[in-house]
Amino acid sequence: MKKDVNDLFVTCINDHKEDFYRLAFSYVKNQEDALDIVQESIKKALISIETIQKAGSIKSWFYTIVVRTSIDFLRKQKKITLMDDQTLEFLSHGIVDSYNDIDLSNALDELPVQYKTVIILRFFEDLKLEEISEIIDENINTVKTRLYRGLKLLRIIIAEEELI
Amino acid sequence: MDKRLEALKKEYKNTPIPDELDFIVKKALKQKKKRKVNMKKFLVGVGAAVLIFITGVNASPSLANALSEVPFVGSLVKVLTVREFKVDEETAKTEIKVPAITNMGNKTLESTLNKKYLEESKKLYNDFMTEMEEVKKNGGGHLGVESGYDIKTDNDQILAVGRYVVSTVNSYSEYTYDTIDKKHELLITLPSIFMDESYINLINENIKEQMKSQMERDPDKFYWLDDALGFKTIAKDQSFYINNEGKLVIVFNKYEVAPGYMGVCEFTIPTDLIADVLASKEYIK
Repeated sequence: MKKDVNDLFVTCINDHKEDFYRLAFSYVKNQEDALDIVQESIKKALISIETIQKAGSIKSWFYTIVVRTSIDFLRKQKKITLMDDQTLEFLSHGIVDSYNDIDLSNALDELPVQYKTVIILRFFEDLKLEEISEIIDENINTVKTRLYRGLKLLRIIIAEEELI
Repeated sequence: MDKRLEALKKEYKNTPIPDELDFIVKKALKQKKKRKVNMKKFLVGVGAAVLIFITGVNASPSLANALSEVPFVGSLVKVLTVREFKVDEETAKTEIKVPAITNMGNKTLESTLNKKYLEESKKLYNDFMTEMEEVKKNGGGHLGVESGYDIKTDNDQILAVGRYVVSTVNSYSEYTYDTIDKKHELLITLPSIFMDESYINLINENIKEQMKSQMERDPDKFYWLDDALGFKTIAKDQSFYINNEGKLVIVFNKYEVAPGYMGVCEFTIPTDLIADVLASKEYIK
């Protein structure tokens, strides 16, 4: 049984490593830190892999670890708005076309972490509400509320940006 | 979905994935092994206990005799280190452990085997000493040979002793096996298990299949299979032993069928494949 869980875990990581990386990246916004978080998360997961009950929930369990590790990381970093090299490059070249995208993604980045997490997991990673509630350890109604508010905030932020 | 959300998702999914990700993930997953430090400590403990036991048994024949009367422990007093050759200098290290079989009814076989073990070990030791002298004469260099044994199988019927010679300098290593039928007190050879020589081809085909499927399943594994120097056939008296489940295990030394990092390669042959050509069903089940 233990071996099975280990194998499943390794397969799961290998199948979804890009998803996990993207999620970590969405928090820390740079490649080195995101890689660190993936590595750190795997380390943590391996330490507590014995405690996992249902083999089916490995993926959401690992999402939990990635989310928590990322948030921990941000807490420690408190808090410079980070930009990845590409964004910087875009900015320095001043390519008009890409301004919109930057504004959009900034809007997402400026969302409080709790809203950002649910929006990413629900809409970008296409997870179910139940899975998200498991990952952030809140009940489904809280997840729904946060999604709703997050979206609302997003629209407001976008709207304000557009006004200027 | 909302247009903006769609755009955000697209942007999110376009996050560039660095090439290092694969490497990092692989490295992190490998740390699993480090976590088993406790297991290692446990093994060291067991090892120490075994060492004390062996020293005790070797040092005092009466203890050995007394122990061999105890039912379970008695069966353990079968293969023990009786002699060690040791050289420990700064540039030359060797440790050669000589196994000896005891408690066997068939004294001729017992003494033949023990003599063989001792002679081979002595030769290894002498070779090492000559080589050491030579190297010293030529200005020095590092040398190291280690030899010992492990017991692959020990049940009511079969005792399989594997002896190894490992050079710690060029990482050359070699395994040889002796499989003994405890009941009839015979030394089992590979040809003696089979009716005729058709086993060679059957085993060859199976090993090739196993190599292929192992390589497909795990990209880290690699066997020399398709090139000119690749695996063609096992020797008539290829290294082998019979494991605890009564399965035939074919063994290749390091570098024999695969690059060095693969180490010593073992292939367990499914019994139904060779059942038709077995001389008797006694050993292999």
